[in-house]
Amino acid sequence: MKYVATLDGTGHVVEVAGGDGRYRLTIGDDVWEVDARLTAQGIYSLLIGGVSYVADVVDREGTCLVDVGGEAYEVLVEEQTRWIIRTRGGAAGAGAGQTVRAPLPGKITHVAVRPGDRVQAGDTLVVIEAMKMENEFKAAAAGAITEVRVSVGQAVNPGDVMVVLE
Amino acid sequence: MRLKKLLVANRGEIAVRVIRACREQGIATVAVFSEADREALHVLMADEAYPIGPPPATESYLKIDTLVDVARRAGADAVHPGYGFLAENARFAEACVAAGLTFVGPPPAAIRAMGDKTSARKIARDMKVPMVPGTLEAIASDDEARTTAAQIGYPVMLKAAMGGGGKGMRLVRSESELAGALRAARSEAGAAFGDTSVYLERAVVEPRHVEIQVLADAHGGIVHLGERECSIQRRHQKLIEESPSPCVDAGLRARMGEAACRVAKAAGYVNAGTVEFLMDAERNFYFLEMNTRLQVEHPVTEMVTGIDLVREQLRIAAGEPLGYAQQDVTWKGWAIECRINAEDPFGGWLPSPGTITGLRAASGPGVREDSGAYEGYTVPRFYDTLMAKLIVWGADRATAIERMLRALGEYKVVGVRTTIPALERIIGHPDFRAGRLSTALLERILPGLRAHEGRHASIALIAAVLAEYARTRRAAPEAGLPEAGPSAWARAARPGARG
Repeated sequence: MKYVATLDGTGHVVEVAGGDGRYRLTIGDDVWEVDARLTAQGIYSLLIGGVSYVADVVDREGTCLVDVGGEAYEVLVEEQTRWIIRTRGGAAGAGAGQTVRAPLPGKITHVAVRPGDRVQAGDTLVVIEAMKMENEFKAAAAGAITEVRVSVGQAVNPGDVMVVLE
Repeated sequence: MRLKKLLVANRGEIAVRVIRACREQGIATVAVFSEADREALHVLMADEAYPIGPPPATESYLKIDTLVDVARRAGADAVHPGYGFLAENARFAEACVAAGLTFVGPPPAAIRAMGDKTSARKIARDMKVPMVPGTLEAIASDDEARTTAAQIGYPVMLKAAMGGGGKGMRLVRSESELAGALRAARSEAGAAFGDTSVYLERAVVEPRHVEIQVLADAHGGIVHLGERECSIQRRHQKLIEESPSPCVDAGLRARMGEAACRVAKAAGYVNAGTVEFLMDAERNFYFLEMNTRLQVEHPVTEMVTGIDLVREQLRIAAGEPLGYAQQDVTWKGWAIECRINAEDPFGGWLPSPGTITGLRAASGPGVREDSGAYEGYTVPRFYDTLMAKLIVWGADRATAIERMLRALGEYKVVGVRTTIPALERIIGHPDFRAGRLSTALLERILPGLRAHEGRHASIALIAAVLAEYARTRRAAPEAGLPEAGPSAWARAARPGARG
């Protein structure tokens, strides 16, 4: 499972694997092997490399309040797809150069361009429906459309190339 | 006379404290509760418990007639008022006495004499106890306030004559602020105490707040139990108290104690009481007021003197003599108390009522917890935010400080925000450690208080993500995180360990 944990305005991609009290979390380049026990309601015992931490976690209106080592943190945890929808649903979909890839799984509900079209930055390219929300993906910069690889009704997976610009 | 059955006219941790003292002396206990307090700890702990009305205190805990009626019908022979609510209400004490109930506190006349701060100041003056220069009568008009303030010199402090607990208090730095402050203090005093009288005294800049505990029996016996340092306050609300005070030595203690006993005696005082003093940078002390009740912070005195104040209150109320004299009172070691309030120190210190879903109190050597809370308890929104008091004892101040930091680290509350993280920061602050205390200290520390310094950011991310992961997987058929039973917890965890 991939999550984005947002702390003080910065999103951190956190990948979690494992179960039964033993977990592997990947945060950026760091891998954390965690032995975790949920004890009394919201009081967690974490053993990380032999070091014992006790963290209090309470969910308040979608934000986790975490108290650990005398410090209090507010962490918003979302599944990565949901985070992408929330933060990038509008503008930056076509950010990475010439190739526009689907950042999340979903269904194409609208294709706004055809090969040969010229687009301006901010023009809508495609719309993906995911998690019951329509997400517009827009051109990050002006250019000419050379390829459209998706059509309405088609399911896409993260990484699928949707549109290629010149 | 022996007390057999006592009604506790209070709630929360102090009601629990009184019930404990009664139980240790074989006195049956009667609790009272508002509709918001059916599940409160004092109700669970008392031998009997009776409802007294809707949640607002004015319709329950402040209802003199109801309380006296419940006491009579339950067959109680005594009433303990705790602190707050009716504890310093002379009419309540009178009503108890009139109903043939023993009031565990001073005689009504003493409550009255000390309850009006201007009359208390007259007693102190007559007893030649030093006082901050100011008025002995309530201020009659804005004009009088201006003239008097100019005479004693700015900054001045406006105080409610019937006040206490910091309500109706205003610092006035210059004449231009006076009219507005007078209005505000009067209206606050009227709302809180039903009396708009205010008086004026010179403001001591960055004072310490040091108070003396006294015990007086009905046979003329009186002793003081030394001082409590209460300078760590936020908006006149005490947050951390200790005994002894880092700035009081044996000589000063004897002088302050003797002055306190003189005031108490002059007021015809019987039972436990506290004389509050301000202390300036040169360690001059000035009479402030006398609190005619048990104080919230009484445990620090108990820890260093070995004297159980509530037990003494009950003995004195039953007519027993103290049985010891001043030279028998000795002090050992150092005690500190932290107030664990359901407040969010990182969210403007707003009250944080709600259900305590997880709770692990601190324990171990030298640690005492006086609490009104338990896991699963819902902190109601109608009353004081004080949830529990954490008290530690150490052989000296440095030991007590380290012990308090250790205990605060162990104390886990989930579900409501508490003052614990702020208390840790204050206790660990260099000024606190060095004993450089004043009522202005928190105004300097707190603005720089941040929820975190990022020391445990990765751990916080991990814990938050695992919580979400567990939730997601709980929704799915296969379970998420295993739940450890208490024994597994005891085996596996070192509570309070930090990275």
